[in-house]
Amino acid sequence: MDLSTLTNWLQAGVRLAAPLVLTSIGSVYNERVGIINISIEGSMLVGALAAVAGTLITGNVVIGTICALAAGGLLAVVHAYLTVARNTSHLVSGLALNFLALGATNMGFALLFPTERARVATYPVLGPPELRSVPFFGPVVFNQAVIVWIALILPFVSSWVLYRTSWGLNIRAVGEDPHAVASAGLSVFWPKFVAVVFSGVCAGLGGSALALTDLGYFAPNMTGGRAFVVLAANVVGKWNPIMVAASCLLYGAADALQLRIQTFGSPIPYQFFLMLPYLVTVAALAGFVGRVAVPKTLGEPYDPEAI
Amino acid sequence: MRAYVNERGRIGLSGLRELVLSGTGPILGVGLALVVSAGLILARGVNPLVAYAAMLEGAFGSVAALANTGVRAAPIILSGFAVGLGYKAGLWNIGGTGQIYLGATTATIVGIIPLPVPAWIHLLIAVMAGFVGGALWMFVPAYLCAYRGVNLVCTTLMLDYVAGFFVSWLLHEPSPLAEKGATFPMSPLILPSARLPILMEGTSLHAGFVLAVVLGVVLHFVLHSTTFGFRTRMVGKSPEAARYAGIDVVRWILLVLLICGGLAGLAGAGEVLGLKLRLFDYFEGFVGFEGLALAILVEGNPLGMILAGIFFGSLKAGAGKMQIVTGIGTPMALVIEALAVLFVVAIGFGQRGGVAQPARKKMRGEKR
Amino acid sequence: MNQSADIALRIEGITKRFPGVLANNDITFEVRVGEVHGLLGENGAGKTTLMNILYGFHQPDSGKIYIGGREVRITSSRVAVDLGIGMVHQHFRLADNLTALENVILGIPPKRPPLLDLESSRARFEGLTNEYGLDLRPSTPIWQLPVGDRQWLEILKLLFRDAHVLILDEPTSVLAPSQIEQLFKTIRRLADDGRSIIFISHKLREMKEVADRVTVLRDGQVVATVDPRQTSPTQLAHMMVGREVFLDRRPRPPSESRRAVLVVDSLSCQDDRGIPALRDLSLTVHAGEIVGVAGVAGNGQRELAECIAGLRRPVSGTIRISEEFIAGVTRDPSLLGYIPEDRRKTGLVADFTVEENLIIKTFDQSPFSRRGVLQRHAISDRANTLIQEYDIKTPHPATPIRHLSGGNQQRVVVARELNAEPALLVASQPTRGLDVASVEALQGMLLEERNRGAAVLFISTELSEVLAVSDRILVFYRGEIMGELMAETADVNLIGEMMLGHRGHKDPAA
Repeated sequence: MDLSTLTNWLQAGVRLAAPLVLTSIGSVYNERVGIINISIEGSMLVGALAAVAGTLITGNVVIGTICALAAGGLLAVVHAYLTVARNTSHLVSGLALNFLALGATNMGFALLFPTERARVATYPVLGPPELRSVPFFGPVVFNQAVIVWIALILPFVSSWVLYRTSWGLNIRAVGEDPHAVASAGLSVFWPKFVAVVFSGVCAGLGGSALALTDLGYFAPNMTGGRAFVVLAANVVGKWNPIMVAASCLLYGAADALQLRIQTFGSPIPYQFFLMLPYLVTVAALAGFVGRVAVPKTLGEPYDPEAI
Repeated sequence: MRAYVNERGRIGLSGLRELVLSGTGPILGVGLALVVSAGLILARGVNPLVAYAAMLEGAFGSVAALANTGVRAAPIILSGFAVGLGYKAGLWNIGGTGQIYLGATTATIVGIIPLPVPAWIHLLIAVMAGFVGGALWMFVPAYLCAYRGVNLVCTTLMLDYVAGFFVSWLLHEPSPLAEKGATFPMSPLILPSARLPILMEGTSLHAGFVLAVVLGVVLHFVLHSTTFGFRTRMVGKSPEAARYAGIDVVRWILLVLLICGGLAGLAGAGEVLGLKLRLFDYFEGFVGFEGLALAILVEGNPLGMILAGIFFGSLKAGAGKMQIVTGIGTPMALVIEALAVLFVVAIGFGQRGGVAQPARKKMRGEKR
Repeated sequence: MNQSADIALRIEGITKRFPGVLANNDITFEVRVGEVHGLLGENGAGKTTLMNILYGFHQPDSGKIYIGGREVRITSSRVAVDLGIGMVHQHFRLADNLTALENVILGIPPKRPPLLDLESSRARFEGLTNEYGLDLRPSTPIWQLPVGDRQWLEILKLLFRDAHVLILDEPTSVLAPSQIEQLFKTIRRLADDGRSIIFISHKLREMKEVADRVTVLRDGQVVATVDPRQTSPTQLAHMMVGREVFLDRRPRPPSESRRAVLVVDSLSCQDDRGIPALRDLSLTVHAGEIVGVAGVAGNGQRELAECIAGLRRPVSGTIRISEEFIAGVTRDPSLLGYIPEDRRKTGLVADFTVEENLIIKTFDQSPFSRRGVLQRHAISDRANTLIQEYDIKTPHPATPIRHLSGGNQQRVVVARELNAEPALLVASQPTRGLDVASVEALQGMLLEERNRGAAVLFISTELSEVLAVSDRILVFYRGEIMGELMAETADVNLIGEMMLGHRGHKDPAA
């Protein structure tokens, strides 16, 4: 593989990983507080559609992004209400919301683009053109849309917030031992609620990254289960924002690789690379990741009356 | 079912009471969903009554329509059993998708090989292979859940995606399972001796539907009237009491989960041996998740799932007609299904069902 | 000993009623600045309720609380913390994935929000650990900390918040003897520094060693506040269990058979936290006798019952029922009947019907099932018989069992366990939460079993009940048997002493 193919692959890998990384920012937080949120798939999908719709109507990518944030967050508000306020099964709620998002976006797509697929504006590429020709680093780093830059920076910000602020401390504690948080006089409800909504907002942002980076259009079910890869990355990355983002980058690279392999042909079938994130996750859950890493109350309802 | 006098001196019917109680929730949820969806249809400028009428016609309005409903309902119902049985045992099986794929694959393998046996035996073996395929795919998550306390939801969900890719690989040349020179990845045709018989001349309604209904009745009987069902329900309602009563909870969970996998495998086998007659790349659609929605809707009750499955099937069968008449199509069916589940959950009938990780909370030094 | 007259905390006339029970009845006592004040009492004496009131979990029905002379209303734990009250619960409130430092600073508003004051907090952490001689490092994650160290961390949490009234709830139950000494030294230092400590315990030795004064609670009331060093164990025990006359000792024919049914030999096992619950315990129960296990809850009684029932695997030692070694759950109903402590979660399946609950152990045996199919008629018939025989009040055998009252639910458990006339019956807190009539009935059933020739092991934290029902009494303390007495002639105060850890002598008549 020559250098240009290599850089081409890595550039694609980073680009493909960006939606995953953005979604993972919020997903780490909501799993840390103990809520399983599989509706991020739905949030990502409605975010993608909202981004395209917003950009189509106003011509402005920023407005489109804001629409995506709002759409993803709104879906998550329902999930947050059902799981945090009403203590219903996380799984049931997330699943139903995904269905809803799928149906709703399909309908919305038919409404918006009844005949042909219009293309809308995409994210501008950030980076001085001179630097772009620097071998290797040039294209991989500097030939990326601005949203990819955001995706690369956010994990560090998120990590700082999680480990160095009191909000982050509360979030880390709430999912591990909510009674400790309650007896310290803090609210258990709000960190959980906010974290879930935040995960929806991030997934919406991921959706807009998916639709508005290079592509500029929406296709029905274009997320195709990507958000579940983020759930897998959480496990492998042990719920550490930077490690999880790194896992997402790896998955992005694998995704880019399998696309290329389909053209080039190789002894390893490309499907293997597609399978990889999921298999690794199962292995991680089976015990190659310390049990300690899983937020202890992940998936469990909070009972203030319990000892 | 029998009559009794309850604590308020009123006559109640046990059995029926439970059935009705578990019936009002889903019916209410579905009703609300239909109302809200009617609102959405109205917002599109279409008369909801016209839309629903078209849907009813597309689902029940002719022999072909009924057959269509049945065909679509069958795999959803079977997939629902796979989730529902697990639910009764206190577990969430999200692996329907993967188990359907694997069941379809093993059924296909048997179905394309000519066997020197009478046709009905070939079919029987193919169907059983489907069951085995689904159960095999369930093995790793089931073992991890029962013996190591690993979250079943995560493992089964991950394997759903692996299954899709795995089967896709099997359908690309040069795999022995791939049809040579095909434009779309698919298996060779299922041999006539291994196909499910068609129930209604001229339709696509195959025996898979009968299988689903019969299995539903059987499951109902098993759950309520056999020791197997008694044990399963005990483990689901109270694993601590089950241990106290001397049940090896860990082994029982493994057994039940494997059977769940097999049931979903039957759904896949039905699709391949009855409807599609070939194993197609990514054929599954959302059947696995719809089965999950079904089980949630009726809390895993097999008879309820037959009814609700027919409802879901009618939604999808009717959507086609609705599309032609009003321009609103299949996505609406999904929306209605989703809303139904959401409302049921919000009303409170979808409250946490059982223990998600039964093996996790072990006592120190407990005999496992 | 600090003779300062300053009162750090005064509780006056606190009364708290819960449905069916008067938990605190006009309680008054005070804690001085720099004093270590012990709180002594059996289970149900009202200690926990009182401390929960102090920490803001409950509101008293009447009474006043004064902190440093000022009247206060403690409406939540936040208020309690702000007032300088800190509590170390029996079940720790620590997040496993966080470090020691992070757990300690959780909930303390930082100086420059939202940025955490990690540097200054770490310095303070190390300063405090040095000052009090605690071996804790701020960066250790909790899951790596042994249980004893976690307790220290809980105390450190209180110090970080400048708590000047510290409540310690049974702190030594997770500590080894050497660690207990360390704890006492630290407590003394804290007191000398001007803080006040409320020390809840049922262990006599500890009270004498570390407490300046002790308040004894019984049945929700204050019995007395005394100096433990000036009071004899007997006097303290009498205050705690204080019955001059025990009522209603049930009449019974003398037991004849001396055949040993239950033989426990050098049994050791751990509790759920990994701490030894039973230490090399040996006991025997003979046919036709009721052996009562007395003691404050948490001294190994529950674990003993679970080991016998096969629900907990011992670390060492053996258990034999009728000569058969126990390894795992016994499915033979003629061998063992077990009435578990937690009837709602373990002994019954709440969502099943009455008749289903009656057969949870025997459903796969004839006549209740044949070839895997349940025989509903046989099940119903048996249910009807048992309902009659054990006087279970239920509208119908097919009524869901959660509609029954507690007493009737327990009757179902009893009916199921006794029906096959087991050789050994283990009853763990069987009368908890029951009304008077049901308690009567249940005790009567135990006697009947005993008279029939069963061996009965009766575990209860209600001392009067143990005295009324048992032939022989064993007193449990820290997983060991402190002493053995014949119930007929037992000296209640002696039992009380043993419950407090004061080793008595075996009754020569045993």
